[in-house]
Amino acid sequence: MSGNLLHRQPILRRPDGVGGALPALTLITLFFVVPVVALLLRSVTEPVPGLQNYAILFGDGTYARVFFNTFLVATVVTAVTVIVAFPVAWMLAIMPPALGSIVFGIIILSMWTNLLTRTYAWMVLLQRTGVINRTLMDIGLISEPLPLINNLTGVTIGMVYIMLPFMILPLVGTLRAIDPMTLRAAALCGASPFNAFRRILLPLSLPGIAAGGLMVFVMSLGYFVTPTLLGGTSNMMLAAMIAQMIQSLLNWGLGSAAAFILLLVTMALYALQLRLVGAKRMTGGI
Amino acid sequence: MKLILTGILAGLLATTAARADEMVFTSWGGTTQEAQTKSWAAPFEANSGIKVLQDGPTDYGKLKAMVEGGSVAWDVVDVEMDFAIKAAKDGLLEPIDFNVVPKADLDPRFTTEHAVGSFYYSFVLAWNKGAVSGEPTSWADMFDLTKFPGKRTFYKWSAPGVIEIALLADGVPADKLYPLDLDRAFKKLDTIKSEIVWWDSGAQSQQLIASGEAAFGQLWNGRVFALQQDGADVGASWKQNMTAADVLVIPKGSKNKASAMKFLATATSAKSQAMFAEASGYAPINTAAKAEMPADVVKSLPDAYVDGQINLDMNYWAENRDAIAERWYAWQAK
Repeated sequence: MSGNLLHRQPILRRPDGVGGALPALTLITLFFVVPVVALLLRSVTEPVPGLQNYAILFGDGTYARVFFNTFLVATVVTAVTVIVAFPVAWMLAIMPPALGSIVFGIIILSMWTNLLTRTYAWMVLLQRTGVINRTLMDIGLISEPLPLINNLTGVTIGMVYIMLPFMILPLVGTLRAIDPMTLRAAALCGASPFNAFRRILLPLSLPGIAAGGLMVFVMSLGYFVTPTLLGGTSNMMLAAMIAQMIQSLLNWGLGSAAAFILLLVTMALYALQLRLVGAKRMTGGI
Repeated sequence: MKLILTGILAGLLATTAARADEMVFTSWGGTTQEAQTKSWAAPFEANSGIKVLQDGPTDYGKLKAMVEGGSVAWDVVDVEMDFAIKAAKDGLLEPIDFNVVPKADLDPRFTTEHAVGSFYYSFVLAWNKGAVSGEPTSWADMFDLTKFPGKRTFYKWSAPGVIEIALLADGVPADKLYPLDLDRAFKKLDTIKSEIVWWDSGAQSQQLIASGEAAFGQLWNGRVFALQQDGADVGASWKQNMTAADVLVIPKGSKNKASAMKFLATATSAKSQAMFAEASGYAPINTAAKAEMPADVVKSLPDAYVDGQINLDMNYWAENRDAIAERWYAWQAK
């Protein structure tokens, strides 16, 4: 939405020194850096000093499966989100502004609704005795309920729905910044609509896709509520496993180690993204 | 360093820290905590003038964080008995002052140095009459996919119950359950794993059965009782019902220990226990409570079904809690 504005406005003068940043820095130090360090300490001190917690996590097939699940879900969710979000973002980018702001409002509104409420709504829709299965069975399309919940399908549907705004918003920014004349020029030069999409629109929108995709992927990695409610125990993701270690097993050393690995992976992904896309292009896209 | 950091964490958790004339009671929410509030907290407030703040749900991780950080916001907590035995060993609980809490009438099965009974319950086999053809009567029926196809629901967390059910269904005699043969139990559970829907809270177990999302399952008897009270068409089989107990504990370092002890005295009294049993369908842990209850309520409680009843071995579970949990969650994630 703000893509155009940002590009056209002169860059604000940077304030000198770090004085203005102090409150934010203090907040981040107190409530992020300190707990993270505490977490790291726990992971190497409980129950005895050493790296045994990490050895357990990397040496055990169960945890390997949970790591794999986590990445699988995050990958599938990101891919589906990109595919679903792109047409919406494109539509928003070329829509008349009045209509566009209504569609935007609907998307934003969904973000403001409580996450738990939205996930429970999906449960009502997807379960075996839910609205979708009942309807399909009533009209005779299926005779047995489709397994839409307690599996990867349920997790993907629920999470894509929640992640969509995070993909659409950066994409719209990028798409709006693309000069429509480039597409017209492609058409004039004889490119088919598909070719114009593949060779002009898609490459130009890559920064937006990358920015949104990374955000969705990273958020998906640490997701808890939706996979817990819509997935089965065999789709367990890292966040649920960490909660289990902390709350149920009271094994804080192991839980901290798992949380720390999740954090490291997330930060590594972000660093990779910065190198590939460049910080300016990326944040400029949003 | 670690202590300070844990302290900060616990401080953040301590949102409901009570004033001097108040105390905090924490339980599992839902119909059970409502009954506890009505039957225990209300009369206690009226008699003592001490206000009882309700919090929940019980969270063992939080409890540990509070005790370790020295910032304990909960004064009385309803926990599962196997956890209480383990937590007492780990030094997380205050010893009970039996000079304040009269011990004479308390069921000794659920009384320890660091805990008094809260209530006791049975796992029973419940089914939705509209969603099942025929009547499942034994735990073995829950493993019979030909006779009873469809989804079945079990308790999700590693706790006494499901392992024992699998072993009984596989033909292990009730008096030979312990020590648990985990290999055999998981092998049996493997045969129906794809048809299991797990419930992680009492409310969810009710919702699954009432909607027919799962046709039948292993439920707490009080939750089945509540469903039937609401007029849901739900049947229950008490054959080989399995008893386990919740107990009340005081976390080490509770700031209102004296009030907490008095609260325990009220909560475990015959009258309060009778009121709670009537409201919840769970059995009283005070042996004198039955005299205070209507006969038809007494008939609906777990101790009316002692024939073939199995007492889940809390001491065995307290001893092997961690080892079983590790295998349990690894098996679930497969």
